[in-house]
Amino acid sequence: MAGLSLIRTFTAASLAATILTCATSEVHQETIDMRKLVPDQISGWKARDAAEVYDRQTIFDYIDGAGEIYLMYDFRKVMVFRLVKATEPTILLEIFDMGSPEDAYGIFSHAREGEEQGIGQGSEYRGGVLCFWKANFFVCITSERETPSSKKAVVDLARKIAENIPVSGAVPKLLDYLPEDGLLDKSVRYFHKHTSLNYHYFLSSENILGLGRHTEAVLARYEPGGRYLLLVRYQNEEEAKEALDGFFSAYIPEGKRSGAAQIDNGKWVAAKLEGALVVVVFDASTKADAQDLTKATQTKLSESSSRERTGL
Amino acid sequence: MKDQNKTITRRDFLRGTTCATLAFAMGLYPEGKEVAELTPPKTRVVLIRNPAAIDAKGRVNGEVIQRMLDKAVTSLLDKKDPVEAWKLLVGPKDVVGIKSNVWSPLPTPKELEQAIKKRVMDVGIPEKKIDIDDRGVLHNRIFLNATALINARPLRTHGWSGVGGCLKNYIMFVSRPPQYHGNSCADLGALWNLPLVKGKTRLNVLVLLKPLFHGVGYHHFDPTYTWEYKGLLVGTDPVALDAVGLRIFEAKRLDYFGEERPLKPPAHHIVFADTKHKVGTSDLRRIELIKLGWKEGILI
Repeated sequence: MAGLSLIRTFTAASLAATILTCATSEVHQETIDMRKLVPDQISGWKARDAAEVYDRQTIFDYIDGAGEIYLMYDFRKVMVFRLVKATEPTILLEIFDMGSPEDAYGIFSHAREGEEQGIGQGSEYRGGVLCFWKANFFVCITSERETPSSKKAVVDLARKIAENIPVSGAVPKLLDYLPEDGLLDKSVRYFHKHTSLNYHYFLSSENILGLGRHTEAVLARYEPGGRYLLLVRYQNEEEAKEALDGFFSAYIPEGKRSGAAQIDNGKWVAAKLEGALVVVVFDASTKADAQDLTKATQTKLSESSSRERTGL
Repeated sequence: MKDQNKTITRRDFLRGTTCATLAFAMGLYPEGKEVAELTPPKTRVVLIRNPAAIDAKGRVNGEVIQRMLDKAVTSLLDKKDPVEAWKLLVGPKDVVGIKSNVWSPLPTPKELEQAIKKRVMDVGIPEKKIDIDDRGVLHNRIFLNATALINARPLRTHGWSGVGGCLKNYIMFVSRPPQYHGNSCADLGALWNLPLVKGKTRLNVLVLLKPLFHGVGYHHFDPTYTWEYKGLLVGTDPVALDAVGLRIFEAKRLDYFGEERPLKPPAHHIVFADTKHKVGTSDLRRIELIKLGWKEGILI
């Protein structure tokens, strides 16, 4: 994984990451120097050598196959720092510029399993790796081996970097449409592409929902029963309708009329058009369970629209 | 998978109309279908386990590994003597590359590499005609001129191919691995048809001493999700070994998580290696699994 080859030495010119953040109706554009996010030292650990930089073309030189996970999002580049301290394990720091806060959230949600650590806008510490996201950035920190002092340094470093990122980013708007009742928080995944959907929930070898860079999708699980709710936002209603028709034809042709069908494992699938959104429920135990979740989503959508209209 | 161009949906797996191995990889359990139906076995896989393979401090016991390998190879080839068995795999004139794996959290154990090398030399192949390598194979004179390959690596989950097993271990035989990343590494089986390796692999050893059965994302290794299975899978068919290994993983995941927890992404490259690239057998109904040694917690 790390450090296979140094593709590009870090230069000041390569450090600029453009951040777009929306606060109320005002758009702020700021440029963040990724190098300046890293403190000169943390508990005696200091950066060794220049940072390595990998972009969409060279990411595979750094993390090979798993680089594809980043390419499913608007990944721009990653800067890799190695922090050293005598007699202590090396700390590896990776700062990914994901192009937008939504995609920084998305890559964080892709692998989230652990408990929230209260760092940045979302974080977890799992298997000796601390990851968090804030604004456009997804940050991962790990030590070669864990000692009490290295673990503390990893956490302190994460907090410091999070503080040094001067802005926050908006979470994807699509998340607002998820009904809260029964939602399993850590199951929420935000993505764009068919490959991501199949990663989390294999649906079809072909892209039967017409997912791509231009679509936004969120997948979440609900109790009881572990139902899945998938929301996909298309560019317009016409595109959404076409996608829904394609979904019915390829997956549940028998449900086209009623909007729901019981499939081969006895579970129910329901799908519905809501403006430019397609709402799909998978793996519901009963038809009512499936339809309850689509109705709850419909209610959330109405509430959100109403809030947007009234500016609340 | 009757028609490679047909759209395959989740429902196909649920109906049991396509490969059971992949259905299990996805945590889908076709209603009323038994994997072990009575069909003639076509390929043999040996699973051997020994509780002494790893000691209390987590160290691999080389002598035990040698005995496990010998027992597995003799059982695989119906021979009593390990050297006689190895003579069916390689000959004195062969140039042999032992393809290992150096991934630092879970590498191919040196003890296994040496056990394989010893038996290759016992056949009469001089040491200078044998090498062990992973990431340098494309620049390794022995591998470039190899007439025989032995493939040995640990089984683990993988963030982009579901699992890393025998099939994936040959990714280092191409200069641009990303070429094989499409559709979650669906076409890893194609590696085995490359001129540099096609038809050369005499034996595969899939290491399940302390496998990684769960991980997410690119920072994939988490010791929480390893367990001391203390086993080796041995056979000539890389697809069959991966399919059996995958089945063990599914059983372990079900046991550990207490619910069906599909691999992310599904390890569909194992099925495609069979159905599309024709480099082995992924259908468990067509695999003869010989189980030797320690049975506790065998999961299959």
